[in-house]
Amino acid sequence: MDTGVGNGLKRRDFLQGAALLGLVLGLPVTTPALAADAIPTGRQLRVLDRVSDIVIPQTGTPGALATGVPAFVVLALAHGLGGTGVPVAASESALRPFLRADGTLRHLDWLEATLDQAAGSDFLRLAPLEQVRILTGIDNAAFPPGPPLAVPSPWASLKGLILTGYYTSQAGAAQELRYELVPGRWDPDVPLKAGDSAWSNDWTAVEFG
Amino acid sequence: MQDFDAIVVGSGITGGWAAKELTEAGLKVLMLERGREIRHQQDYETETKAPWELPFRGLGDSALYQREFPVQALNRHFTEWTQNHFVNDHENPYATAAGSAFNWYRSYQLGGRSLTWGRQCYRWSDYDFGANKRDGIGTDWPVRYADLAPWYDKVESFIGVSGAHEGLAQLPDGRFQPPMALSIVEQAVRERIAARWPDRCLTIGRTANLTEAKPDEGRAPCQYRNICNRGCSFGAYFSTQSSTLPAAQSTGRLTLITDAVVERVDHDPKTGRVTGVRWLDTKTKQRRSATSRIVFLNAGAFNSVHLLLNSASEAMPGGLANSSGVLGTHIMDHANTLSAIALMPGFEAHTTFGNRPTGVVIPRFRNLETLDGNGFTRGYSFQGGALQSAWTRGKRAAGLGAELKQELHRPGPWRMVLVAFAESLPRATNRLSLHKSATDANGLPQLEIAFEHGAQERAALADAKAEAAAMLTAAGGNVVMGLDQPGPGGTAIHEMGGARMGWDAKTSVLNRFSQAHDVPNLFVTDGAQMSSSACQNPSLTYMALTARACDHAVGLLKAGTI
Repeated sequence: MDTGVGNGLKRRDFLQGAALLGLVLGLPVTTPALAADAIPTGRQLRVLDRVSDIVIPQTGTPGALATGVPAFVVLALAHGLGGTGVPVAASESALRPFLRADGTLRHLDWLEATLDQAAGSDFLRLAPLEQVRILTGIDNAAFPPGPPLAVPSPWASLKGLILTGYYTSQAGAAQELRYELVPGRWDPDVPLKAGDSAWSNDWTAVEFG
Repeated sequence: MQDFDAIVVGSGITGGWAAKELTEAGLKVLMLERGREIRHQQDYETETKAPWELPFRGLGDSALYQREFPVQALNRHFTEWTQNHFVNDHENPYATAAGSAFNWYRSYQLGGRSLTWGRQCYRWSDYDFGANKRDGIGTDWPVRYADLAPWYDKVESFIGVSGAHEGLAQLPDGRFQPPMALSIVEQAVRERIAARWPDRCLTIGRTANLTEAKPDEGRAPCQYRNICNRGCSFGAYFSTQSSTLPAAQSTGRLTLITDAVVERVDHDPKTGRVTGVRWLDTKTKQRRSATSRIVFLNAGAFNSVHLLLNSASEAMPGGLANSSGVLGTHIMDHANTLSAIALMPGFEAHTTFGNRPTGVVIPRFRNLETLDGNGFTRGYSFQGGALQSAWTRGKRAAGLGAELKQELHRPGPWRMVLVAFAESLPRATNRLSLHKSATDANGLPQLEIAFEHGAQERAALADAKAEAAAMLTAAGGNVVMGLDQPGPGGTAIHEMGGARMGWDAKTSVLNRFSQAHDVPNLFVTDGAQMSSSACQNPSLTYMALTARACDHAVGLLKAGTI
């Protein structure tokens, strides 16, 4: 669809220009360095890998592991994304062992300990279906039917970051869902057919959930 | 002989208009902008970035935001894509008075907030210009709709406003480009509300996004990306860069200087006129100055007031153009809250394509011919729209694995959102002043903001919550939540007032042509001039008042009276 006129920018030109700009700059996404105390242990990374894979497995499209979700979650936790940098209420005694001096939660410490406790042993040595069962229990407890918990479970933040990591990755946003930088038109009523996927670039919907 | 005919302080929505109108009238104009240069189509650095091309996937670095952007980050338009279009709070401090909460959202850059604005363009009516006189709160506006109508015509035609003609007395129609369509859900809600309340009209937002190209200005129509705040290389929404700046530059009479923080407007007590301005070049740390025959202040409502207060002199100890003593007082915003969210069943087989860059509006229906507000005498209106939940709904519910992936593959349930904007009353106690001791990075006194919403605003929002729920329920929705308490001052990003217009030089700063009562060659044509707030988005009215003031100033210059 060619919607430009006069000396206004045409959509086609614009897309070409954007592509060229990317080539000229050639800049990969730079990953900011992590502070020393934000680097997880090897076991925590294995736990995070397994948990991410359970939340978003590979199906007909890539899952969380192939899209680098665990690395995003580590970066996100180090920078307090998704509310994870906000101090936890001091009354939450169950979380106290996992708090930093400033009151913020070490989410991966909490995750590792909570899974091992629910497993009664080493979570990573359980059979895959058993691991799913345990995480399902934690997930169901974090999102009970009815009104949300007065004090959210740390799992809610971790799951949120896993979903963000996946659905903002190229495969999650543009392969599992659809992504169109320049829709070019607005259709106010389109039939929704079986199998149609949502648009990851419906920014207002993404913002409001 | 002065350096320039006119100096315009600020390059945002009104500064760009002043520069355009004054240069087109033949004047030699200097426009000063405190922030950096941002060039159209060249410097919109994040415009085409996908989430996976950003380190924090669009969410941004929360730790950085908490340290350096703690206020700006509260604004929903502030993201990893747009953070370069907002100020660093740490570097640009302001003070709030005890008991006041005010979130001051700012964009210090060429184009100012014209790059980040919501683009909603609504005419005010005589319900608005007559409001202060009607209930006796605030000073009477020295203008009425008939004075502004031709200027609204001019502004809308030039900037390009798309919208639907509805024939409403409280929200006059304008010179519109074709409207963007209501979605199927919004269309149904419009019809169901009208069936029950014939005096309530849900209509598409009137937005400064083009639905038809403006080839003479090099502007293409909207591409339905809805990422305007990153900057739009199509020039499809109105900004200084896309619209007024190229017009002013094409005259060959504009000098533009960026990175120039104006510290003072000079005043000659012998002539009673302003003579020019002084600024700090923030790159070289040099202090510079220029002279002119007239000065237009368009620094943004609070910063124009700040500049007048900082320009106090022996002759004008309370601030420039402040013989009345009301400079800084009667500031306003809108009382703003999320009145209702409802699930809208029945449209599961429908979706939409494209990202429309505007929502809908339900214009004011209270306190028109009859004063029918319970505890409030002014108006409120709703903005909002229908949307289908996205993958982010997965963050709120139980579910894992392939089943979760399959569920989030589809668009989620339809929901309708209504957000209220209630008129903020002009009160003397809501005011700006210079802080007694705290200074900013350049050594000037910090601006201190005292602001509280009042009982009238709270009563309006309580009514808005009830009516939003009633309308969405009547439209077939299931209301899931609603609020009736306003966000802190500044939440609507419609801060205005502080140098109000009025008939009387003893009780107002500006006359009906946005001209200082005390200083005939000084004009203030941004939000500072507002005497009341109405409940509409104010930018269109600022632009119309600016164009009108420019015409008046040029007439006076030609007649030799200023």
